[in-house]
Amino acid sequence: MTAGDVIVFGEQVAISVNGAPMVAHRGQTLAAALLANGVRTLRRTRRDGRPRGMFCAMGVCFDCVLTVDGKPGVRACMTPVDAGMTVTMPERFFGRRGA
Amino acid sequence: MSFSRQAAVVVIGAGPAGLSAALAAREAGAEVLVLDEYAQPGGQFYKQLPAAFRVPDRARLDPDYTKGDALIARVRDRGVEILQDTLVWASFDAGELSVTRQGTSGTVRYESLVVATGAYERVVAFPGWDLPGVMTPGGAQTLVKNQRVLPGKRIVLAGSGPFLLPVAKTLLGAGAHIVAMVEATRPRAWARHAARLWGHGDRVHEALDYRRIIRDAGVPIRFGALVVEAHGGECLERVLIRDCDRDGHVAPHAPAHAIEADVLCVGYGFVPGTQVTRLLGCAHRHDVRCAAQVPVHDDRMQTSVAGVFVAGEVAGIGGAHAAAAEGKLAGLAAAQRLGRAIDPAQIATAQRDRAHHRRFAALINDLFPLKPAYFDAVRDDTIVCRCEEVSAGDVRAALAAWGADLNCVKGVTRCGMGYCQGRMCGPTVAALAVRGTGAQAGDIEAMSVRAPIKPVTVATLAELDAGQ
Repeated sequence: MTAGDVIVFGEQVAISVNGAPMVAHRGQTLAAALLANGVRTLRRTRRDGRPRGMFCAMGVCFDCVLTVDGKPGVRACMTPVDAGMTVTMPERFFGRRGA
Repeated sequence: MSFSRQAAVVVIGAGPAGLSAALAAREAGAEVLVLDEYAQPGGQFYKQLPAAFRVPDRARLDPDYTKGDALIARVRDRGVEILQDTLVWASFDAGELSVTRQGTSGTVRYESLVVATGAYERVVAFPGWDLPGVMTPGGAQTLVKNQRVLPGKRIVLAGSGPFLLPVAKTLLGAGAHIVAMVEATRPRAWARHAARLWGHGDRVHEALDYRRIIRDAGVPIRFGALVVEAHGGECLERVLIRDCDRDGHVAPHAPAHAIEADVLCVGYGFVPGTQVTRLLGCAHRHDVRCAAQVPVHDDRMQTSVAGVFVAGEVAGIGGAHAAAAEGKLAGLAAAQRLGRAIDPAQIATAQRDRAHHRRFAALINDLFPLKPAYFDAVRDDTIVCRCEEVSAGDVRAALAAWGADLNCVKGVTRCGMGYCQGRMCGPTVAALAVRGTGAQAGDIEAMSVRAPIKPVTVATLAELDAGQ
């Protein structure tokens, strides 16, 4: 989906996701930017390593929590993208994934 | 550096109820400050576009944007300040709120308070509901309307209630492919309530408009069915639905119908966001129609705590029109309490508006009730608490051992103890408690609320202490 001419996205900015570069638009929420880039799994749960994605998109469910610029527990759906933002998606805290 | 603010009337929430309350109180001459958790005012209903997006011609936007724009502009023109990104997370003393704003701690003092914190979607657990691709209808609507991103390629829209209709309209308007709509109730069950539509022609017109859009798009609608499972590896791939009877029970031998989809939007109405009113010690009652706890209030929206008013969804699910009427009423009453002169006719008009819209809300709640059987699909291995990964089996075992005491279940299992603090698992745990112990829904006390009502960092807490 494009904004068309009714709505024009904010300027393109570069962010880093798990060390890889990604293009997003200023003002977009991180959750929307990741989805627009085809990223649907945002993190893995800490006990069972289950994949999780965006669920409520209004800051209530806390399923989209990522580490942003070193700060853990940041809701991707409530965080606007900014140039140079560094994002890490949490893997399991306990044990190794797939272990 | 902590900050301190005060205002005669403080309003929490900048949705239709909060904005109307702010406007009414300000026009009555009171000094008003609005606190809103989001980046932009408008709440979920009048959700505004991100400030960094540009709109060359606002007249071409959906009317919801322009209505919201107009209301926000009126509030600001009257000199009301709206603090965005501001979370109320505690109230340690009467007349004072603890807030965080963009990582900074603060306190806000008030003489009258209007709580207009809205609602969140009611989600019902089922196997696979935590897979990426499963989301709330409102979540999908926000993505499309506010962020201009489609959630996926093949969308199933399911659950129960009229909110699925505007979500379908938004998704279809953006070019989404809705492969099926699944509504748990059946139109023939609605028929006996038809007379109650009298006087609500505008809403009937709205519903017919949605029906036309959905039909023109060729979206298949299945009534009397429930989502019972979601399957996929890394993301959602397939949704299983099964027919249910009028009580919502899936017939034992009803075949499962599989739909290939990468997005499932599923919701069963809304839950009033009563964390702040409970934190403030307001009395609550179980509202059968909303199937939730709601704050008790008088005919001017004042709660059991003097000077604390409620408006909108937090007072019971009623939609944006009721929210606006209640906001006005609460705003007027909040100002009057501070000695401002209010024309009684204004109060009476707001009360009449409120009654009109609440009558329609009652009809909607009766047409789309939360049926206990909606939770039948919850198997023992189903994750109930998404945050702490607690299974239904663990919750059932705790209920069997300790009875229908949700705080006890929380303590024993960690269910409801995570980031969302029971907002997502609450309805399912309450339903399991009713089913497992035979307790009445109205007798089950909700999980208690304590500060911080949303996560706050220790650094924020330390800052608050340093500021005092």
